[in-house]
Amino acid sequence: MAALLDRATARRTRRAAPKARARRPVPTLPCLALDGLPQAVLVFDAKLRLLLGNAGLLGMLNVPPALLAGRPRLVEALAAGKRFSPEALRATEQVCAAAVARTDGVEETAHLDLANGLSIMLRLRRIGRCRWVAVFEDVTEFRATESRALALALTDPLTGLANRRVMRERLGTVLAAPSGREAAQAAVFCIDLDNFKPVNDTLGHPMGDALLRAIAGRLRAALRGDDLIARVGGDEFVVIQEAPGPEGGVDAVAARMVDLLGRPFILNGNLVNVGASIGYALSPADASDPDALLRCADLALYQAKAGGRRGYRRFTPEMEARARARRLLEQDLRKALALSQFELAYQPKVNLRSGRLAGFEALLRWRHPERGLISPGEFIPVCEEIGLIVPLGEWVLRTACLEAAGWPAGVAVAVNVSAPQFEEPRRLVGAIGGALARARLDPQRLEVEITESVLLRHGAATRDALHAIRRLGVRISMDDFGTGYSSLTQLQSFPFDRIKIDRSFVQNLLDSAESAAIVRAVAALGASLGIATTAEGVETEEQLARIRADGCTEVQGYLFSRPVGAAEIGALIASLGTAPTPRLPVEA
Amino acid sequence: MSGSLHRIVYCSRNALAGSAASVSGEIRDILALSRANNRRDGITGALLYSGGVFAQVLEGRLDAIEGAFERIQRDPRHRDVTVLQIAPAGPRGFPDWSMAFAGDSAGRSDPATAARLAEALADPDAVGGEELLDLLRDLVVREDEWALAS
Repeated sequence: MAALLDRATARRTRRAAPKARARRPVPTLPCLALDGLPQAVLVFDAKLRLLLGNAGLLGMLNVPPALLAGRPRLVEALAAGKRFSPEALRATEQVCAAAVARTDGVEETAHLDLANGLSIMLRLRRIGRCRWVAVFEDVTEFRATESRALALALTDPLTGLANRRVMRERLGTVLAAPSGREAAQAAVFCIDLDNFKPVNDTLGHPMGDALLRAIAGRLRAALRGDDLIARVGGDEFVVIQEAPGPEGGVDAVAARMVDLLGRPFILNGNLVNVGASIGYALSPADASDPDALLRCADLALYQAKAGGRRGYRRFTPEMEARARARRLLEQDLRKALALSQFELAYQPKVNLRSGRLAGFEALLRWRHPERGLISPGEFIPVCEEIGLIVPLGEWVLRTACLEAAGWPAGVAVAVNVSAPQFEEPRRLVGAIGGALARARLDPQRLEVEITESVLLRHGAATRDALHAIRRLGVRISMDDFGTGYSSLTQLQSFPFDRIKIDRSFVQNLLDSAESAAIVRAVAALGASLGIATTAEGVETEEQLARIRADGCTEVQGYLFSRPVGAAEIGALIASLGTAPTPRLPVEA
Repeated sequence: MSGSLHRIVYCSRNALAGSAASVSGEIRDILALSRANNRRDGITGALLYSGGVFAQVLEGRLDAIEGAFERIQRDPRHRDVTVLQIAPAGPRGFPDWSMAFAGDSAGRSDPATAARLAEALADPDAVGGEELLDLLRDLVVREDEWALAS
């Protein structure tokens, strides 16, 4: 089309080259070529009078041919064809006037929806000093295809719910609208299924897909028709509710979703139970920016999941503070290793038969420049999450071996190795061998302590790694025995050198018959399997007497010493190693 | 598999508030709708309401009863849904009923039945789907005899 207009303009310009062009009557354009076009084409003047039209004008737009001769007003001619609604006529007239007013030669365009369902693209352009051409093109088919493609791009094909993009746009629109101070403008719910992955893994993806479709159905049932439901991840959904009403009402909506998603599903004869956790935030109370509001709802979701699942939480500012503290902790941790802020403390283990010092357990400490000592319970889980635990674990191994190499020959060192370190078994075995070699420490003096969770993850690969460590000459003990799910099974899966009885049993030893029975049974089990047993957390003489009577081989706890820094080790060895029966707590 | 006869047995707790009369009214509505849907979908079964607990048996093609179950699951008028059985079934237990009804709203209440239903909700393993099925069959037949005799 552009080419046609350009040719027409060029011809007009050539003809207009002689001086007297203004007064000359407008020659009729040759219409033959125009008649062959699928578009309706017309030429009009500055007063919006129709000068010329092609066959398309008569066909597509139904303009009566008789009208053309009398130079009618353009809108009257179009109105006579009865295809234009009053709005479409007004829009056409406006855009024609706009084209006439333009002096820069740029095209004017408009979209028109005609009464017979045709979708029209109208383009207007000046083709002479006071002549304009209007081209009406039927784009019905194109627009239908376009809207189908658009629908596909906007919905999740599996569930028919909106996708993340639509959700984000809708939230932007809702929050951009003016709102009163009192009422909530929008509620955003972040929903996460609690148990989707196991279902997907055990019953297969087709069942997982069926479940997601059923979930979408339950969400629709729990919500109003004008709430937007979007699937934004594998098993994550976001709901946007406009003008959600009073807060209790929002709680009720969240509770209803938790209720409906927590009910059983029956899918192809299988009974399937999942559940959902929900976090929500309100605008403008919690945030008024779309991304900030989504983040608030997401933080609330995180808390809901941490709070035991199948529940909902509303965002509170403390959550933000906690998340910020957590981010800071993360940043500080990433620097701590390079800045040598970690150190090891050592707690002695005493052999009950000889009464002598058997060795030390190395315990990690973080001395934060501003916060002082931070408990491992706070920073170890974060280290595991951000992947710092492997290099940190290697640092512990190296340091513990180096320091132990300076102790008397009979004194061993025990180092805790965590589950993530076993994910790269070769690297772990290499790190242990390297630490021993560098420190020139007798491998017999190193003991690796693992918890049951280590064996539960990657069972076979972990056992192989444990055997490889054992081949280096290192001993292996099971820590926190009795606190896991299947301690006895784990005991069978690897020939441990030592069992460490969890402190919780030792602490309840005198008050709880169950704890006493467990300690006695584990000591007897160790004796009959030929495995050493260490009771942890021994604090009183009474506990010590009982443990000795039960037959444990080793004890560790505040009764003998709190964990001490490397500098104090010498004194501790001197006091413990020489005393025949250590009884008194060594307090610093 | 989806073409052969299957059975779902579940129980749930009433979530309707209001007077006994309004609850009965709601149950009548539930029954009317369920009967219409079930006739269309080739489903038979029974509904028992006793002591604030619903027990229901749905029997028919697997896809049909799963569809009905999912519709029922989305209903806010009950909660604590516990599925006692989902399995292929022999002959229909309620061949003549699109949804038979037995329960308090029929004018009488049976404490033993109510207690057994409460147990089923508390511990699904204690009261199996088969036992509940028998209980319902027994009650429905008795109601039927009672209706004929009166």
